[in-house]
Amino acid sequence: MADRLLFSKAGTARYISHLDLMRTFQRAFARAGISIKHTEGFHPHPFVSIPLPLSVGFSSQCEVLEFGLTGGAEREEVPARLNAAMPSGITVHRCYEAEKPVKQLTYVNYIVTMEYDPGAPFGAERAIRDLLARESLVMDKRSKKAKSGVVQVDLIPLIAKATVEERRDTIALDLVLRAQNPGLNPELVVAAIRTHCPQAAPDFVSFHRRAVLDGKMEPWE
Amino acid sequence: MNRALEQILPRVQKPARYTGGEYNAVVKDRHQADLRYALCFPDTYEIGMSNLGLRILYGVMNGMEGVWCERVFAPWTDMEEEMRRAGISLYGLESGDPISGFDIIGFSLGYEMAYTNVLNMLDLAGLPLRSADRPGLAPLVVAGGACAYNPEPLAPFVDLFVLGEGEEVTPEYIALYRQAREECWSKEEFLREAARIEGIYVPAFYEPVYKPDGTLAELRVKEGSGAPERVRKRIVEDFEHSYFPVRTIVPSTEIVHDRVMLELFRGCIRGCRFCQAGYVYRPVRSRSPERLARYGKDACRDSGYQEMTLSSLSSTDYPGLLPLCDQLLDYCAPRDIGLSLPSLRADTFSMNLMDRLQRVRKGGLTFAPEAGTQRLRDAINKNLTEADLLQSVRTAFSGGWSGVKLYFMLGLPTETDEDVLGIADLARKVYAAWREVTPNRARGVRITVSTSWFVPKPHTAFQWEGQITREEYQRRVDLLRDAFKKDRSITYNWHDPDTSWLEAVFSRGDRRLADVLEYAWERGAKMDAWSEHFDFPRWLDALAACGVDGDFYAHRQRPRDEVFPWCRIDTMVTPDFLWREREKCYASQVTPDCRSKCSGCGANRLLKGGVCDG
Repeated sequence: MADRLLFSKAGTARYISHLDLMRTFQRAFARAGISIKHTEGFHPHPFVSIPLPLSVGFSSQCEVLEFGLTGGAEREEVPARLNAAMPSGITVHRCYEAEKPVKQLTYVNYIVTMEYDPGAPFGAERAIRDLLARESLVMDKRSKKAKSGVVQVDLIPLIAKATVEERRDTIALDLVLRAQNPGLNPELVVAAIRTHCPQAAPDFVSFHRRAVLDGKMEPWE
Repeated sequence: MNRALEQILPRVQKPARYTGGEYNAVVKDRHQADLRYALCFPDTYEIGMSNLGLRILYGVMNGMEGVWCERVFAPWTDMEEEMRRAGISLYGLESGDPISGFDIIGFSLGYEMAYTNVLNMLDLAGLPLRSADRPGLAPLVVAGGACAYNPEPLAPFVDLFVLGEGEEVTPEYIALYRQAREECWSKEEFLREAARIEGIYVPAFYEPVYKPDGTLAELRVKEGSGAPERVRKRIVEDFEHSYFPVRTIVPSTEIVHDRVMLELFRGCIRGCRFCQAGYVYRPVRSRSPERLARYGKDACRDSGYQEMTLSSLSSTDYPGLLPLCDQLLDYCAPRDIGLSLPSLRADTFSMNLMDRLQRVRKGGLTFAPEAGTQRLRDAINKNLTEADLLQSVRTAFSGGWSGVKLYFMLGLPTETDEDVLGIADLARKVYAAWREVTPNRARGVRITVSTSWFVPKPHTAFQWEGQITREEYQRRVDLLRDAFKKDRSITYNWHDPDTSWLEAVFSRGDRRLADVLEYAWERGAKMDAWSEHFDFPRWLDALAACGVDGDFYAHRQRPRDEVFPWCRIDTMVTPDFLWREREKCYASQVTPDCRSKCSGCGANRLLKGGVCDG
């Protein structure tokens, strides 16, 4: 069975893209003197996989990376050794044996913080709540596969839970979204707000991934 | 992280370029650092972070007590636009602090087409462009690098230029700056003292005087300035023990040269007559294979890189190459770390070595014969024979390589149509060699011939030469293109002439070009090294508006006694030697490499004892 790391991505590291992050981990393992499984073939390279890529700019406290530990360190030592070899903003919390297969990764919990320079507009919270309570909410989504470059997605079946909370000049959305097949990026939820509730359109939005969950809403590990 | 920055980053391409925070980036306590240095590279992060010189200076300065050196790159245009709109001025990547509040701002100049980025970065920092409009001591604007060997086009913008290698002179002028600040010197007082440091050229102390025909009568030393008649470049004499960045920044986003760079030696024994690097980096100084092997292993261990490259002007001329490669291979091979040599000579020895070293796919190999006939290769002292080249490609093709790139220059001094057509002949011989030895004819072969328009450079044997005219260049391109018409396996590419002409203007330009730069920049010129931003008509407008004739700099043949804009800069390679080399070119005579026979260039005078490693 594979080994997994639980790590967070914050600060400047939020802007490291998915591919660059995998390269960063490959190098960090080498720097830490931890040997991991290599790919086979003509150009063998250290194998790492991140099952649920995080959009550039998002922060997260629950990122998971899969790899195969082959030597150089015991599992318990891995977090400390890696943390000494990481760029700023990436912190490894735990190294453990994978329990649940990737296909059981079902939901992701995001905190979306929408900021309003002049304070949250009156009625915005209500409007957003009503929007997310609709029977159906269809949005255009860019797609590489579709010929037109756009597909239509109904957001509602992909939103498992949504809590809207207003705090002075921000509105926070606590969302539990489908993780995969298909998954929903919370940016699309914000895009829906901009489209359907223009009075509630924020000036700036930040996205934070708080938890990855299985089909029973238990932590996926 | 700064909130204003946080708000714009989601809207720009590749934001990881603008955040800092990489592994090994040096973050010091603001209150412990008494001297803040902005090390600026006037191009993108990906290009700048690939520069070894920048990494060396970063390490040297951050190793100094109280000095905090940060990196600054030119933001791509989308980021620049966002920064200007949000009122964010140019900042150091490590602290995020605006560089306008730093003590010293140093630019690394590697390419003339980056000059507008220097102006743009000063402006983005909120600073006046011209030295005269920055009366205070801080921030001091400094520049160095290969282009500083003709500093004149940037003279009005820069307070002082550093000539040659920066490892030793940088701490010297930083110490002087600290003294100046403690004793409350004026900028003028500081510059006067700085000009006494070997290797420092203070442009304000040299005043150009022109003749009616537009050439220089003299570059007059300002009376009472105490500035030297000739500013001698600096070298690190003891290269063996000089600083090497074993622990260096590992970018979190992909850069151009994303690997360990191991610098074998400085200088070059070859003496190619067109090559500025070959002349200005003299004399040759090497590191021992034992030390290099240690540095290479330690650098791989510290960075986690899976690739290492051996770097120098001509790596196969390194005497200890085999023992070094053996030691490195012992370390690299079991760890799947790839080892490569970027600058190869086309001889069999190199090819065998390459075969042993390289893990990369056997796709393309690159050779630079530079000229199509032996006669012209002799004239430019490119000591590569046709037999060498053909032997090498034969080795490569029989070993399964399936592509070769061949680089040439058009417009080299003494070039005739026969030489131009010789390029086609040589390419056809390479093709014939492939047919003869390839184990797999069905796979086909890709032979790519690229020609550039020769740009004569200062401090070379060709510094007196005019660049051939655009029409003539085009005629030679057409001649060669026609010659290749029937060769379906040979692809012919030629360089954009607009850029090469402008390079020729600026590389040997004088101080009058500063106005042209500023004019073009005011009208939007920046990132001129990037074709999507290069706007040639804008440059023609700028030249016309400033009353400057570009052809005067690019195409004019100079007499031997011409006073050059770089006449105050002494590389220690004597002008007499360069002239002799020029004469030998016209006689198609070769000069042996430095190891075979000393050619008496003069650079040995930079070493105690006067004996080169060459």
